[in-house]
Amino acid sequence: MRYLGKRLALLAFTLFLISLITFAVTNVLPGDVATMIMGTQSNPEALAGLRERLGLNDPLWVQYGRWIGGMLSGDWGVSLRFKEPIAPLIAQKITASGLIVAMSLCLALALAIPLGVWSAVNRDRWQDATGSGLALAGISLPDFFWGIVLILIFARGLGWLPSSGYASPAEDFGAALRHATLPAVALGASLMAHLTRMTRSTMLEVMGQDFIRVCRAKGLSEGSVILRHALRNAIAPVLTVAGLQLGYLFGSIIVIETLFNFTGMGWLTYQALLNRDMPLLQACVFVIAAVVMLTNLAVDLLYAALDPRVELA
Amino acid sequence: MGAFLTPKGLLGLLLVGFFVGMAVLAPLLIDEGLTTKIDVLARHQPPSLEHPMGTDQLGREIVWRVLLGASTSLLIAVSAVALSILIGLPLGVISGYFGGWTDSALMRLVDTFLSFPVLLLALTISAVLGPSLPNTILAIGIAFAPYLARIVRGEALRVAALPYIEAARSQGARHGRIIRRHVLPNIMAPVIVQATISVAFAILAEAGLSFLGLGTQPPTPSWGLMIQASRDYLDVAPWTALAPGLAVALTVLGLNMLGDALRDAMDPTVAAER
Amino acid sequence: MKRREFLQGTTALAGGALLAGGAPARAQGEPKQGGTLIWGHSETTQNLDMHQTGTASTSRLLENVHDSIVTIDETFQVIPNLAERFEMAEDGLTYTFELRRGVKFHDGSEMTSADVKYSFERCKDPATGAVNFEVFNDVEAIETPDERTVVIRMSRVNAPFLSRLAENGAGVVMPEGSGDIQGTLPTGTGPFRFVRREFGNEVELEAFLDHWRGRPHLDRIVSREVTEPTVRLTGLQTGEFHLINDIPLDRVEALKSDASVNVLTWFPLSWAFLNFNHDRETFQDARVREALDLMIDKEVLVQGAIWGQGVTTASPSFPASPSHNDEIAPRPQDFERAKALLAEAGYGPGELSFTFKVTTNYPWHVEATQILVEWFRQGGVDASIQQLSWSDWLSQCWVDRDYDVTMMNFFTLWEPDFLYYSLWNSEGAFNYRNISDPMIDEMTSAARRVVDPQERAQIYKDIQKRVQDEAHDVVLWFRNGTVAAQPNVGGLDALVHPNGSNLRFRNVWLES
Repeated sequence: MRYLGKRLALLAFTLFLISLITFAVTNVLPGDVATMIMGTQSNPEALAGLRERLGLNDPLWVQYGRWIGGMLSGDWGVSLRFKEPIAPLIAQKITASGLIVAMSLCLALALAIPLGVWSAVNRDRWQDATGSGLALAGISLPDFFWGIVLILIFARGLGWLPSSGYASPAEDFGAALRHATLPAVALGASLMAHLTRMTRSTMLEVMGQDFIRVCRAKGLSEGSVILRHALRNAIAPVLTVAGLQLGYLFGSIIVIETLFNFTGMGWLTYQALLNRDMPLLQACVFVIAAVVMLTNLAVDLLYAALDPRVELA
Repeated sequence: MGAFLTPKGLLGLLLVGFFVGMAVLAPLLIDEGLTTKIDVLARHQPPSLEHPMGTDQLGREIVWRVLLGASTSLLIAVSAVALSILIGLPLGVISGYFGGWTDSALMRLVDTFLSFPVLLLALTISAVLGPSLPNTILAIGIAFAPYLARIVRGEALRVAALPYIEAARSQGARHGRIIRRHVLPNIMAPVIVQATISVAFAILAEAGLSFLGLGTQPPTPSWGLMIQASRDYLDVAPWTALAPGLAVALTVLGLNMLGDALRDAMDPTVAAER
Repeated sequence: MKRREFLQGTTALAGGALLAGGAPARAQGEPKQGGTLIWGHSETTQNLDMHQTGTASTSRLLENVHDSIVTIDETFQVIPNLAERFEMAEDGLTYTFELRRGVKFHDGSEMTSADVKYSFERCKDPATGAVNFEVFNDVEAIETPDERTVVIRMSRVNAPFLSRLAENGAGVVMPEGSGDIQGTLPTGTGPFRFVRREFGNEVELEAFLDHWRGRPHLDRIVSREVTEPTVRLTGLQTGEFHLINDIPLDRVEALKSDASVNVLTWFPLSWAFLNFNHDRETFQDARVREALDLMIDKEVLVQGAIWGQGVTTASPSFPASPSHNDEIAPRPQDFERAKALLAEAGYGPGELSFTFKVTTNYPWHVEATQILVEWFRQGGVDASIQQLSWSDWLSQCWVDRDYDVTMMNFFTLWEPDFLYYSLWNSEGAFNYRNISDPMIDEMTSAARRVVDPQERAQIYKDIQKRVQDEAHDVVLWFRNGTVAAQPNVGGLDALVHPNGSNLRFRNVWLES
């Protein structure tokens, strides 16, 4: 219980730090929202008036306080560019991104674990070379390149799947899946590669340990040794890595979603950045960082729960 | 050393050597003008004897751009990683060596930065500074620094716990001396491995940044920019994407292989298995 | 391929729209009622308030939600719209409008003169932040003697006034007091009613059954915003969209011979020009500007940057406009002369260098910039490129005017006063190049007070010649507009507004 309390306090402090960094970085951005809103009708006087109305002239710490206070009380403000309330917007886009992140994770794990095990078991033979080779190739190409190739083959070439857009799962689950497939596969490609390598290396590590030798000595079948004993122990680190990769994934979605015009958090953040839409950008960056941090925390706890050797310090 | 020269290590070394060679020699041997020479009448020519890798949408020869692109990409990647080491190494060493409150505080800060996806950080920094080649280096370098700091810290912790280090400290030797003479040399190997792999990621990061318009500027022949420009013409001119894409893939592949081989060579458990 | 043959690929339309398509003319018969048209729109809509929106993209959509008091025909003559009759007094100081009877707003109320007065005054009010507020600068009073009559009294002669009212940005009529909701629920008298907008994604309009011209053919329009050109095109080809605007420039020719789609091209959509910052000493010298102009082969540029989907021009006036100067022509490429001029101005080879800022908002501008910079290099000028996002370009070049050289395009500026005053008068709202030419200042101001159309037209022709002679800017091209549609979409020939940018869906129908 004490451990939990301590972690929660630490959590709150970290979230505070994240908010500070978010605010600092986004407010150093040159160019401003007023110009974006007024577009080619901008002129110095009108802009000054608009900035005043938008509260952009107040000292930074006042703006920060206003922002934090608002977030804590549930008022996340309105996107200056699109005049839509931010909280429901983010809720919607996060669901969208959540869909492809979840899909890519499942896909990646489903492919990586068998491939990694296969490589480990057949270490240094052609199977290993193939498996590891594929994995290496997977992490060597930029993920948006995979995206481009996928669009070429599956959308334009075969016409099986749409190359862009987003459909809400609540409204039309089938369409939602179809639109999410290609982005998820593109996202998952390099993730799968990472996880394959991770699976292979942890399997190798585990299989070299004493208790495996004991299992073999006891006469257990090789299949049982691999799957029931080795894999069980290797899974935890792999899952941990998968969870930790979430941070990297949330960066990748910016590129992938822009490529596929898939309107999720990545797309939204990039739009906010381009438009200098400060309230939206701050909220997006904060949310992404918070999600990554919370996931890491959850993974830590999960790892501790799964592996009795780790002490909850 | 022998453990390093596995097939993987050799292939990695070969690939990396080839690309580094290209990066160094190309600017000396190829006239820069060839990469920007526009010939609208010869746009989107497929690969042939006349145009070894084909031409792009403005009629520029892709082969020269890919070759010189090696310099751009490697320059950015290596500089960015060097910068990240410059920032991350001291942080990590101080954190790991001194431990205690220093470690907790510094790592709290680093972990917070690590919550921001690397690409997002790099994007924002690039937007803040204004996109250009030097600023791309800064953006990627700063964004990679926390990650490197963490790794260095892990290594420094491990080394600081070694008996003879503890002995030296208890004997009152000055911290600076211990760090310089004992800690740093012992962590250099893993740092080099990490750096190798980071260079690979930096190349990918630059490609991503350029893809989003916040990396290198035209008409600089950078692989990332070339892939981005090829996007609209994929079905009519796929070679415009394939050439730079393969270049990135092979370079990154080589770097990953090299990094893997180095790591395997230094990892005692792996070595013991042979 | 020889240059000659190559350039024959340039599509030069005389003006107006050309419908080309390999698809069987199924939908050219009788209009059918009903159906939902899915439109793949190239841009995101911004502010939905017709007075406040400054973007061509939102205007394109709102064109169907609002009507203006008068409108224009293809020759840019002002014709009745919501006003059945209108006239200007001899002295040019009074305009009288007689409104149509029985025009309904989307909220059910009937349009009266009070709504017109409200709309115009709202536009004029600085607190509204209306983009076109200056249209009403010379308006002294708006009187509504009865429900159907609006009388506008001017403090002085303002010749462009009536034409400016032909665009929704100034002449739109909104229900009285509806100002506060226009940003979220645009309400007007147009053939379609606004239903909803899902941010970044789609806007839905439904047929307004009580439109004063009768209901439109379509039941519904859904505009889906797809900014990526190839993604948009794929969407059309897979049947996801019925219609898309702005086909990727390099695909237009191929699509025209594609049997499965109909392609509509019209001319012009927009015009583009190269800009020099006249605040920078280098560019105050007309010889330098002319030299750079002479390094450009405009025909090849049109091929290279916009794939031949346009024409070169020295004048930014719409070709069909009476004020278009037919006698000026772009300077041909001449490196010898260019280098000589530069030398005269004191710049030997390699001595002139500057930064060329271009926005990625228009990818073909980035291509054009690379081509231009390569020519400048051949001419001994060292130019470096800086790509800016739209936001940064607006901040740096438009507002702060901090740049050396840049380029930009403009849409819908068919009205000559709006065009020439705003861009080339030293006090013009769009004069981000800091041009201060007393001759042009005098001519643009004078033209405002001249009521005789021919006299006015001549003044504008003189302005064009002056800009060309002095190379204040270098006008590069007119770009074609393109729309592609499934074969079952009919009524495409009436789709495009004379301003070349807005799309009118009133007469469009779906075959099945």
